[in-house]
Amino acid sequence: MDGFPILSLLTFLPVLGMIIILFLPKEQSNTIKYTTLVITSLQVVFAVILLGNYNYGAGGIFEQSSFQFIEKFRWIEITGISWIGTVKVDYFMGVDGISVPMVLLTAIISFIATLSSWNIKSQLKGYFALFLLLDTGMMGVFVSLDFFLFYIFWELMLLPMYFLIGIWGGPRKEYAAIKFFIYTLFGSIFILLVMIGLYFSATETIASGERVFTFNMLALMDQTNYSPDGILSPFNPENMRLVAYIALFVGFAIKIPMFPFHTWLPDAHVEAPTPISVILAGVLLKMGTYGILRISYPMFPDITRDLMWYIALFGMVNIIYGALVALAQKDFKKLIAYSSISHMGYVLLGMASLSTTGIAGAVFQMFNHGTITAMLFLIVGVIYDRTHTRGINDFGGLANQMPVYTGFVTVAFFAAIGLPSLSGFVSEALVFVGAFGQESIRVLTMISTLGILLGAAYMLWTLQRIFFGTLPEKWNKLLDIDKREYAMFIPLTIIIIFLGIYPSAMLDIMNTSVNTLVDYVAVSFQNMQLSGF
Amino acid sequence: MDASLLTENLSYILPEIVISAALIIIVLFDLIFHNDKRIIPYLAVAGLAVAGFFIIDQFSFEGSAFATSSSANNFGMITVDNFGSFFKLFVVCVSILIVFFSFSSEEIQKTFDRLGEYYALIFGMILGMIILVSASDLILIYLALELLSLSSYVLAGFTKLRDRNSEASLKYLIFGGVSSGLMLFGISIIYGMTGTTNLYLINPLLQAPNLNLITVSFAMILIFTGIGYKISSAPFHFWTPDVYEGAPIVITAFLSVASKAAGFALLIRLIKTTFVTFTSPDGYWQLINAFDWQALLIIISIFTMTLGNFTALWQNNLKRMLAYSSIAHAGYLLLGLVVMSDQGLTAILIYFVFYALMNLGAFYIIMLIANKTGSEEIDDYTGLGSAAPFLGVSLAIFLVSLTGLPPTAGFIGKLYIFIALVDAKMIAVAIIALLNTVVSLYYYVRVLKHMYLQKSDSPKDAILPSTGQILFILILLVPTLLFGVYFTPIVTFAKNSISLLGF
Amino acid sequence: MTIYDIIFYLFAAITVLSAFLVVTAKNIVHSAFYLLFTFFGVAGLYVLLGADFIAIVQIMVYVGGILILLLFGVMLTNKITSVEIKSGTIHVLPAVIGLGLFAAFVLSTMMTTKWKSNPAELPFTTVYDLGYILINEYVLIFELLGILLLIALIGAASIARKDKE
Repeated sequence: MDGFPILSLLTFLPVLGMIIILFLPKEQSNTIKYTTLVITSLQVVFAVILLGNYNYGAGGIFEQSSFQFIEKFRWIEITGISWIGTVKVDYFMGVDGISVPMVLLTAIISFIATLSSWNIKSQLKGYFALFLLLDTGMMGVFVSLDFFLFYIFWELMLLPMYFLIGIWGGPRKEYAAIKFFIYTLFGSIFILLVMIGLYFSATETIASGERVFTFNMLALMDQTNYSPDGILSPFNPENMRLVAYIALFVGFAIKIPMFPFHTWLPDAHVEAPTPISVILAGVLLKMGTYGILRISYPMFPDITRDLMWYIALFGMVNIIYGALVALAQKDFKKLIAYSSISHMGYVLLGMASLSTTGIAGAVFQMFNHGTITAMLFLIVGVIYDRTHTRGINDFGGLANQMPVYTGFVTVAFFAAIGLPSLSGFVSEALVFVGAFGQESIRVLTMISTLGILLGAAYMLWTLQRIFFGTLPEKWNKLLDIDKREYAMFIPLTIIIIFLGIYPSAMLDIMNTSVNTLVDYVAVSFQNMQLSGF
Repeated sequence: MDASLLTENLSYILPEIVISAALIIIVLFDLIFHNDKRIIPYLAVAGLAVAGFFIIDQFSFEGSAFATSSSANNFGMITVDNFGSFFKLFVVCVSILIVFFSFSSEEIQKTFDRLGEYYALIFGMILGMIILVSASDLILIYLALELLSLSSYVLAGFTKLRDRNSEASLKYLIFGGVSSGLMLFGISIIYGMTGTTNLYLINPLLQAPNLNLITVSFAMILIFTGIGYKISSAPFHFWTPDVYEGAPIVITAFLSVASKAAGFALLIRLIKTTFVTFTSPDGYWQLINAFDWQALLIIISIFTMTLGNFTALWQNNLKRMLAYSSIAHAGYLLLGLVVMSDQGLTAILIYFVFYALMNLGAFYIIMLIANKTGSEEIDDYTGLGSAAPFLGVSLAIFLVSLTGLPPTAGFIGKLYIFIALVDAKMIAVAIIALLNTVVSLYYYVRVLKHMYLQKSDSPKDAILPSTGQILFILILLVPTLLFGVYFTPIVTFAKNSISLLGF
Repeated sequence: MTIYDIIFYLFAAITVLSAFLVVTAKNIVHSAFYLLFTFFGVAGLYVLLGADFIAIVQIMVYVGGILILLLFGVMLTNKITSVEIKSGTIHVLPAVIGLGLFAAFVLSTMMTTKWKSNPAELPFTTVYDLGYILINEYVLIFELLGILLLIALIGAASIARKDKE
């Protein structure tokens, strides 16, 4: 695979598709749909090829040599005059064990979401063009190793998402779309500010031997690169690292979304069309936690360590709060949205443990939540397409009317609850084991386990209300799922069951990297303590 | 002044001479050939192109011309340096775009028989601007400012087709008259204290001990009134919304880009030549203690951008909204000056290039739509996204760029401003500016919301731009996107253009 | 206080007072006549400063030319003489306080500032020097003034012109 730019291909393939679609005439709706399908399935193929060639033994995280499929060349280079020196930005992509699961997830979810978009009726051309642009943004975030590049991709997603919710969404789409836009932009300005702050705090040696300021994430992780007077340098006694960490954390937390920044999510989910909900829950939310693991942790090991209790606290709040609110929902989609908030809490809790088990559980949970919640939203979509209502109390006894559908629903629900032998169980178990092992957050972990109980409660209650009991007269003619819907559900079901039985398939990918990350955070923390900072 | 000295001095102001000559030719042509008015725009473009050639020729050349006998160190009234050449080139390029802009403007085409006057006045503005950016003598500065203002007053009310048009002109005139009067008062105080009007000579005199600093500050605030009025910074912005809304769109676009740039160039030159003793190796300016520019500019810039952004939220007229947005942008631009460093100066130059692209683009599309629908109200944009797909998408990109989201040029412009701020450790100011960006998102996106998210009740007629118009939009659109991902050339150009004569 | 000072304050008072009356007068013809005194006062100040040429120009061009033109304009325009100009004053008290503070501030700074001054010379005619300087050192400004006037002319024509529509 040497020299083959597979990451760029994965990232920019959708842009290619977008350009093709823009040149297709408006009337050829089928061609547009199939182009998108071909592009996203090619993306899956490339992601699988990537996985096939992936070396499980290389750790990544902080050293360039153990990253894989690296593409690095100078993108911007402005030769300096006296006062500021050379400015350079690299086009730097690479993957390690934390990003590969996310790349896989993005490819799979995009493919499934394309299938789910088949029912979109109006303005197909615009829809699929924006959809593919969104795809590029997501993939780019997960493979970028340069902060500047990362930020560009991060922001690139905002606009397509705004339009996708705003044009093809439900009745309150305008409100939901602008709320999403403003919340996430609010978050990303903090990321931008920290990015500039980091830029001025660390330097990197370039080929000419000159030391220049850098956006390179790996260089920013290395404490030895920091200059003594940088505002975010650990060697500066008056540094603003704590403030910067919190700002960065808020930026990412809005995307997760972490309580109390979560209020955009239910609105966005309820109003978004099904495929966009799938993308939102399946991939977009993961970018927040991914960002924390990729940027906050290795660049601020000292602060991470100081604040881990708070991160766990917010994780706990997310779990309990999300579950409690979900319990009170009467709208099926809103219920799934709040369950999603609850499940992202597990990721936060696992990350806060700073142990290999916990973080591996967190990354695994990110992947599992992506597949399971995507499936849940598809389930809502299927029933909404047929009945145009999402009220849980409008249903009952669907099990007899739609048996196959009910089967898939049961799998997804039980996976969400965390039933053993389904994927959700493994990751949640790992999270709890990891978090429990960390003495300082043990109490929080114990409270968080309540979340499982609550989760089981709202899921089973919903299952009972919708699928058991008596079938209302008006739903007598409901059809069971069709071939296209089979094609959406089957891959996800297979993944959920397969990873439940054989979790190592995924855990092995991330193992080395997670170990490296944990070690790296611990060692840098010690180094900083030894040197007196 | 003997002939050889005069010739040498004249060689420094070739672009200005070309513009003046073009102005005279246009006036004469208009008088002699009544029936060939169609040719006048081409004459204008030709004149601008020749001037542009001489300006490019002047790059990396420094010098000073028209020294008076009292100026011992040979600094004259006109300064030729890269900084000035940058802004001259900027003004000329924008003017060329404005000429093509005018081709598509129905407002201007309706007054076809007055085309000669129109271009004569446009050239009056251009001449005022390019002298303003290179003047280093207070008398010349005032004169150039008056030339610029006088032409703008008339152009703002040029079409006279609507009441608000004349109202705009009158309002502009009254506010302009007051502010230039105050500025003249400030200039006379400075002259009274130092006995000279040459900026280079004032500099050492201001470093003298026993200077009454309150009087200097007073004079500087008065002078800033005149400049603040030109760049429409708060609290001298009151004319902006009315004039921008009332004036023909072409003139609004011209005022919001070129006139603002000239005002900034003047402010920067005034501060740097009059108040800076030297530039330290890390790019920071060492200011004379006579007047605290930084404090004044911080307050003004924060005030300006916050006021601009928050007032823009309530606007229903797109021109008026862009007027407030341009006030907000003046605030961002002032931030580049607040840091008082070469870094910030570079950021301003970069920002201006991008600002010109996206602002002209937005105004151009608004004009094309107004040509068809006769309205600039945001409510009338409902459903335009499908009626005019190309115009809609282009306007969306320009507005996103004005917000400052990647991957558009506007983001790079803002990024450089913030980089300069963080480098100067002005984190609090940077945060305020960033929060302002979030506010601005709301009103820019509101236009997109109307165009795409809302369905219009009545089907809209399709708006099909002509090939020439599409080409013009692409000329602005392609760089807006391209510079968003590859900005090396602009940054390099800006970095090479920050040198002022003597600093 | 010398006789020179007394004359100065006299002319200054004439200028300021009549300027005040120009803006407050209800009748536009009255305004125009008050303007005569303003110009006259300014001319007097020029004389005091030894600027003989400018003083003459002030009288000839402003009083003799512009003012007469203005009056003709007013008289030849229908109905304008009898039109009551809206000059209602609002916020008198804040304006007076604001202006008073401003004036006090200006006055105090002006009094304490060390101005650069040249020793007084015996007045002699300035026409020659003025002419020399204008086409020598200040030739650029002189030429630019020409263009400014041209633009003003075009602008005035453009405003005065009747639209065909």
